[in-house]
Amino acid sequence: MADIMMNVQEARTQNTFTALMWAFSHPGHPRPLPKTNLAPFFAIGETLVDLETSYYSSHDGLGQQLARLGGRPRSPQEAMYQFYPELGDADLLDLEMAPVGTYTYPDHSATLVLGVEFDVGTRIRLSGPGIPETTELFVEGIPQSFWSLREKKVQYPLGWDVFLIGDGQVVGLPRTTIVEVL
Amino acid sequence: MTPSETVAELAHPRQDYSYAFLDEFAKRELRRRILKAIAIPGYQVPYASREMPIARGWGTGGLQVTLSLVGPGDVVKVIDQGDDESVNAANLRRFIARMAGVETTSDTLEATLIQSRHRIPEEQLREGQALILQVPIPEPLRWVQPSVAKTREMHADADYALMWLVLYEQLVRFGEFVTGASYPVIVHRRYLMTPSPIPRWDTPKLHQAAHLTILSAGREKRLYAVPPYTDVYPIEFDDVHFSVERQTEGVCQMTGVSHKYMNEIPQPDGSSRYVLSDTSFADKLLKQKRGERVTIGEIYFDDKGNFYHAGYLKS
Amino acid sequence: MAYVATRGGEKAIQRAEQLYRALNGAFDADFVRAIERHMPYLMDRVMGEGSLYAPEMAALALAQAGGDLYEAVLLLRAYRSTLPRLAYAEPVDDEALLAVRRVSAAFKDIPGGQILGPTLDYSHRILTTQVLDNGHEASRPEPEAAEKPAPTNYPSVSGWHRLTGLMTRMEEHEPPDPAELPDVTREPIVFPASREHRLQSISRADTGGILALGYAGMRGYGLTHPTVNEVKLAYADVRLRHPITGAVFSAGRIRVTHTEVVSTSADGLELGFAATMGWNEVKTIAAAMLDMEMSKPEPHPAHTEEFVLYHTEPVEASGFCIHFKLPHYVTFNSALDSIRRVRSRREGGNRLQQMIQTAVKEKAS
Repeated sequence: MADIMMNVQEARTQNTFTALMWAFSHPGHPRPLPKTNLAPFFAIGETLVDLETSYYSSHDGLGQQLARLGGRPRSPQEAMYQFYPELGDADLLDLEMAPVGTYTYPDHSATLVLGVEFDVGTRIRLSGPGIPETTELFVEGIPQSFWSLREKKVQYPLGWDVFLIGDGQVVGLPRTTIVEVL
Repeated sequence: MTPSETVAELAHPRQDYSYAFLDEFAKRELRRRILKAIAIPGYQVPYASREMPIARGWGTGGLQVTLSLVGPGDVVKVIDQGDDESVNAANLRRFIARMAGVETTSDTLEATLIQSRHRIPEEQLREGQALILQVPIPEPLRWVQPSVAKTREMHADADYALMWLVLYEQLVRFGEFVTGASYPVIVHRRYLMTPSPIPRWDTPKLHQAAHLTILSAGREKRLYAVPPYTDVYPIEFDDVHFSVERQTEGVCQMTGVSHKYMNEIPQPDGSSRYVLSDTSFADKLLKQKRGERVTIGEIYFDDKGNFYHAGYLKS
Repeated sequence: MAYVATRGGEKAIQRAEQLYRALNGAFDADFVRAIERHMPYLMDRVMGEGSLYAPEMAALALAQAGGDLYEAVLLLRAYRSTLPRLAYAEPVDDEALLAVRRVSAAFKDIPGGQILGPTLDYSHRILTTQVLDNGHEASRPEPEAAEKPAPTNYPSVSGWHRLTGLMTRMEEHEPPDPAELPDVTREPIVFPASREHRLQSISRADTGGILALGYAGMRGYGLTHPTVNEVKLAYADVRLRHPITGAVFSAGRIRVTHTEVVSTSADGLELGFAATMGWNEVKTIAAAMLDMEMSKPEPHPAHTEEFVLYHTEPVEASGFCIHFKLPHYVTFNSALDSIRRVRSRREGGNRLQQMIQTAVKEKAS
């Protein structure tokens, strides 16, 4: 029987998902996102969003692209997948309200995709599941107060889970990761 | 579909199934759930659970996870009771190979994805490997509380008192813990989890592991995960500790090793013989004995039965 | 051939399957067509539980499975899993159903009338062995056309109840967007279940399971005293909206069963409802009664929504049942280890006791 083949989209989503899965499994450890003709934010949207879930984007252009995936557009208070290519201070007010789940359903919580730059900016130390002792990272492009907001909103098992995207790489910060700003 | 893709890119020879059998919607839903499961270690994430061409209860949950992870570059190992050649393992492996066009192996070290029913291999798994365990009953509280709605509340409140009571009652009645396989554990200091019906021997392998473990129950429609380097502690008391099955008596008839998990083979005269449960590990040892070249990985339990994380097993 | 201890597991599987097929004998397209033509109620059961209305496929599933009903349902469900979702049909109005059989136990006569339709209800259950002796059936009288044809659709009996105030009226509302409706095949059921999930689960449920639990309710374990308000065997048009013109058209007809039961209480009438694809009166009557039991605040433990819906899922129930044939020797070994430990502890304890008793005796003497 002929070998079964992936089409281009299947290959793209499988590779993107694999990067996301290992990013959450080893938080703080950057993974390369597959090099495709799609912008990384849209590639992640394509991998995770469809008519069975909801999304929000702070960037109109990206929002229009994501609309084609069939997902339900919702406000930051409700959307399960939220995309912030450039997280500004004003966006933090929205993030304050992003769903953190309930004790009965902690999985009914938002996944945030944030645009950053790595290797410059704020130094953070990470520990928790997926990290043998600690690991450190430099992150630029998000407001400093994001980290204290995260500490406030992420109270395990509740919280949102974050992907940081920069330079074609992804870093995972699931709610289990403890972040110390140095 | 985006406009920049060419027709040539989109076209491929006609196939009756999507890659890896599951359509993109099914895969996407599974992938969303898997990410949440990794973010909330030990918490049972409900998922739709598609019907598969294999009966429920026979590994459809594990299969759905494997199929949503697998890509052409993966190498897949499938075992049942530790045996690659078990009819059910062979059947699942055949399906995965057919539907994903992947290479398969029995070598634990070569595999990138290991789907297993009821055992974790004897050779240590490393970073970058995913272990997918088949789960019949994902709810550790099932035997003290049959209602799914009620156990959900118990997990929400971390109300696990009944499990400690069960352990205590065992001590009073039998003088020790008698729970065998599926020994309940606490993951990342929060969720009570069943590690699936793996023997107690395998339970410690989940603690601070280099590999990722995903557990999936197709029929019950729940999946959960233990990320790498995560605390997994079996429930026990400060003064009465969890212990693994005694493997001191068994010496493998084929390879001569001891202090590994054995299958007991009853003999007509009432005695028993023992054979290594991990068949590919046994194969490697036999190859080594014959002088053939073979790479045997680091093992979890050494020849004296010491676990590789010193101090973890207190008895 | 040996079981797990066999190496070459794949060969064993292939041989087992070959043996199975050899025992069943070969079949051809004619045989499949014969099933489709002459076993409509078996087909309806497979399609209803298989959750897929595809008569040719259902007949093939039955032929391929050698008549094993659970296998046939699994084949159809697995096939359904691979099919893309193209569109949602327009909602079906029960008063617009093309009904061929409609009866009510609640009243002697009802608007539209009681029509027996095709049924064996009042026949004598005697095997017609002449077929075997003579090679063919005795000549059957052809059904004569009635002078006045029966109506094709019927006003709803529960509609009458609502009109007369015996049952609370339903609120008017916009028809929901079908894409927004909870779908039990796309998301996991959680409890308490939505009405949609409950009715969908019942529609696909195992007939035997629903019957057993429903029967228990009828015999006295239930809290309600139901009367069959209406049982309808009908054809439903599958109406679709043209993607470009927006015109609604019928893509064909499927057989459906629509059943309502009512329970009388001093406050008024309660309604229990069940519907399924295919004609299956036993399932829908029992299920409609269970619908009422499940809605009670404190049902019998075997009639809670969770108990009923989980345990009447045919593919899950039969699959898990037969999974017990799979090797479980690792877990069994672990259990034996526990038994042996306890035993040796007890023996150790006994020996210790004996030693103490001996020592005490010796001391005393």
